[in-house]
Amino acid sequence: MELNWSTFILEIINFLILLWILKHFFYKPILNIIARRQAGIEKNLADAKSLHITAEALQSQYNNRLVIWEQEKQSAHLALNEEVEVARIQQMAALQTSLEKEREKRLIIEQHQQETERLQIERSALTQGAQFATQLLSATASPELERDLCHLLLKELETLPPEQLSTLQAASNKTVDKIKITSAHPLDDSMRQALEQSLSALLITPGSFHYTQDSALLAGLRINIGAWVLHTNLQDELKGFVDITHGA
Amino acid sequence: MNSDGIFVDILFQLGPLQISNTIVTTWGIMAVTGLLSWLITRALQLQPGAIQTAAEGIVTAIEEAIHEAAPEHARQLLPFIGTLWLFLIIANLCGLIPGIHSPTRDISATSALAILVFLSVHWFGIRTQGVKAYLRHYLSPSPILLPFHIISEITRTIALAVRLFGNIMSLEMTALLILLVAGLLAPIPILMLHIIEALVQAYIFGMLALIYVAGGIQSQQITQQKQREKNRE
Repeated sequence: MELNWSTFILEIINFLILLWILKHFFYKPILNIIARRQAGIEKNLADAKSLHITAEALQSQYNNRLVIWEQEKQSAHLALNEEVEVARIQQMAALQTSLEKEREKRLIIEQHQQETERLQIERSALTQGAQFATQLLSATASPELERDLCHLLLKELETLPPEQLSTLQAASNKTVDKIKITSAHPLDDSMRQALEQSLSALLITPGSFHYTQDSALLAGLRINIGAWVLHTNLQDELKGFVDITHGA
Repeated sequence: MNSDGIFVDILFQLGPLQISNTIVTTWGIMAVTGLLSWLITRALQLQPGAIQTAAEGIVTAIEEAIHEAAPEHARQLLPFIGTLWLFLIIANLCGLIPGIHSPTRDISATSALAILVFLSVHWFGIRTQGVKAYLRHYLSPSPILLPFHIISEITRTIALAVRLFGNIMSLEMTALLILLVAGLLAPIPILMLHIIEALVQAYIFGMLALIYVAGGIQSQQITQQKQREKNRE
């Protein structure tokens, strides 16, 4: 155990050389590779952080856009609802108007139908009445009735209004050369005479009187003075009754 | 573990220098370490393999250990402290190989390492703080303590050298004596103890060196920090 200076000095030199060798061939390359890896990791972390920030920004943007879309959707929905409501109101108004018109039309048609039915019923009733009256009068027609009708005619001729009288006189004045008197039953002389007197008194230029018989008249007279015809018989009365019915 | 090799032998003379088996073994360690370093680091990849991972683990572990003692100067101290640890582990374990002796069983080698540590303390201290600021710490807290500081520096350096030398040399000698007395297989427990002791002594030497260097670097930093705090107040 003694100190050898050569060994001491060489050991110092050896250690310094070893230090240099390890520093250049061991520590430095390994530290460099660790540093490179660390830099790579930090870069990846920075990239990841940047990506994370970008992703968060995109997510925020997407959320904002979703909110805006939701608002737009709601406003569009409201607008659509309003449009639908307006259209519905318009359609309802149009439908109401149409229904009103249809109702009025139907009411008019119903009224018209009712009126037609009423008229038809009335006409039918009048026809039935006329038929009944014809049957009744046919059954009850007699020379006595005819005589009464003649008396009634004579009375009316006496009380004829001036307008009718002038018309009668004008008609007889133009063309009358004979006066045709038709009766349902044969007329007796007194009646013929009364008729002739009464008519002669009314007419300005009385013609000759001709008498005919027509049982279709049932009872009463028909007097033809030119174009002018004086009806005082049941057939003409009933016919007039029927004409009134048809005219209605 | 030759009986004639327990003590240092001069193998040959190189001019005025005597080349002992300690030096030759050291050269062998240097060659192997340098070659391994070159082989490991010649094709480093970002995706490391098993060997590269182990190498990175060694460097990272050394750096972290240094960082615990001197956080601001870990990268600066790494080559010196790391080389000390690696060299001492290999040198201490060399004694297990038949025919080869640990260089650290030579007081000249351990003294050289202790002197290097001694010089490194001052080197790193002066580089970090400057000559004046560094030397001032010998006068603090009182100039009276200067002799004690100097004695402390010398004794701890001697202790560093003698501790390592004594432990490794005694291990080898114990194994040799047991081999001589008891036979071939008897020293095996002692060899196992050698492994543990080799690792522990390497760790102790390196850690003490780290503490001394870190103490030299930070000797004035605490004082300066206190001074700054006082000025602020």
